[in-house]
Amino acid sequence: MSLAIIGCAEVPTKRDPKRKRWDILKDVCVRAIQDAGITKDDIEAVLSVNPMAQPSMALDMALGRIPETLGLKGCKDICVLNAGGASTTNCLRLAKSFLDSGWAKFVLIPHVTVQSDIPTEALINFFATAPLDPEWEYPYGVTFNGAMGLITNRYMHETGTTPEEMASVTVGLRGWAALDPMSIFHGKPVTLEDVLNSRMISTPLHSKECNFLADGGGALVVTTHEIAKEMGKPAAYELGHDMAFMGATPVLRSDVFSREAYRTSSHGALEKAGLAIQDMDLRQIYGAYPYTQCSALEGYGICEIGEAGKLWASGECGPGGSLPCTTMGDATGRGHTGSGVSMAFYIDTFRQLRDDAGERQVKNCEHAIITTAGGSVMNACTTIYGRSAP
Amino acid sequence: MSEYLKPLPVIQSFSQPFWDAAKDGKLLVQKCNSCDSSIFFPRDRCPECWSEDLGWIEASGKGEVYAFSVTYEGVEKAFKEDLPIVLAWIDLPEGIRMQTNIVDCDPKSIEIGMAVEVTFKKATEDISLPYFKPAS
Repeated sequence: MSLAIIGCAEVPTKRDPKRKRWDILKDVCVRAIQDAGITKDDIEAVLSVNPMAQPSMALDMALGRIPETLGLKGCKDICVLNAGGASTTNCLRLAKSFLDSGWAKFVLIPHVTVQSDIPTEALINFFATAPLDPEWEYPYGVTFNGAMGLITNRYMHETGTTPEEMASVTVGLRGWAALDPMSIFHGKPVTLEDVLNSRMISTPLHSKECNFLADGGGALVVTTHEIAKEMGKPAAYELGHDMAFMGATPVLRSDVFSREAYRTSSHGALEKAGLAIQDMDLRQIYGAYPYTQCSALEGYGICEIGEAGKLWASGECGPGGSLPCTTMGDATGRGHTGSGVSMAFYIDTFRQLRDDAGERQVKNCEHAIITTAGGSVMNACTTIYGRSAP
Repeated sequence: MSEYLKPLPVIQSFSQPFWDAAKDGKLLVQKCNSCDSSIFFPRDRCPECWSEDLGWIEASGKGEVYAFSVTYEGVEKAFKEDLPIVLAWIDLPEGIRMQTNIVDCDPKSIEIGMAVEVTFKKATEDISLPYFKPAS
């Protein structure tokens, strides 16, 4: 089983309805294929990330319009995969099957989401109803922010994490985002006071700790380890992968903070890679809400339970720190592009491993651990990447 | 009674007894007659042992706050007049954790671990929702 990322492209996250879905999609697909150093007809499968709340684009993708529009004459089949925020992870898993079986040498994985042309009320409704139970949660006014507020409230209670420590996570994430031309918050860092003084949305979450919905798009080109090596181009080699599922409905989960899921999936992935958590130069955590940046570090075994907020507050996880975490900025720092956040995470991980992350570049980045999730943090999907083939 | 504009629970045939009891001011907890599990939310098959032999017990109505979040904005129009809304996860001594709202109190007075008790509010002729308030 082997997969290597050899090409990528993305557009900056924005709220700009003038950028149309198909324009973004064509742009990132063309540039990702060019970046990989192959031709359009080398692509033998197109596995698309299902865009959330974009039914027309989801159908276009599911029914084969991408290879046709781009004239991908070598394309043998297509599929669109949906596991919410973990959709990109599933595209990569299916891509591995195409590569391992010899069905495809090169697979294209595209994503696009435009939310700025959808009325606000419809978006609130979508994000309140999609991941929440229509009988036991929705009638009580639960929103995505509210559900995450509940978990954060309990996390802070159990661990003794202070509001200042929790706010420092957002300061760190926005610190990375401020250095990232791909972020809607490029050049816009925030201070602890900015976070703590921003409007209270769902206690203990302030507005700057909640997701800002944005438009975005990205694409990956993947191949086998062997082909990536032969091509001699910088690549992100997948070295290990594992996963854990907690459940769809937040109130029903015993692993409330996903800490156990972070622990088991990271241990499993590291074991397959033959590496230890201390070998990782970069930790990329997609949880979309700040508490996940803490519980993941605890689950990974990087710090004791209750110490992660202090680590973020020390500045070690942000720009210039000795323990760089989530240089992609997470949804808080990048803007939430629906299922596209994980796409941006994989692209950023690839960029870091090929020394292409600009001002955010982690020095001597040899290995990275990345965890994605879908729904309201229903799962934890952890992958280890390295810049060298095993 | 003014028209209820908020979303009503989407009731299933197997959860109907819960809502019938709620209308009468009783809080039911589903139990598996095979493995004795307490089940939330109600199902037609026990999530532990897959038995379809399920029954109900009447809960004491007492509970304890496991987590809460006071929502000030970001809700759909129908909920706006209720703001701030106190979302809460309540642990019942009968062995389940429920999503609900804490009502009839100052949101700032709520703490994790606080004792609460059930109270029902009528939404329509057929549906009353269980909420919780500070224990008397």
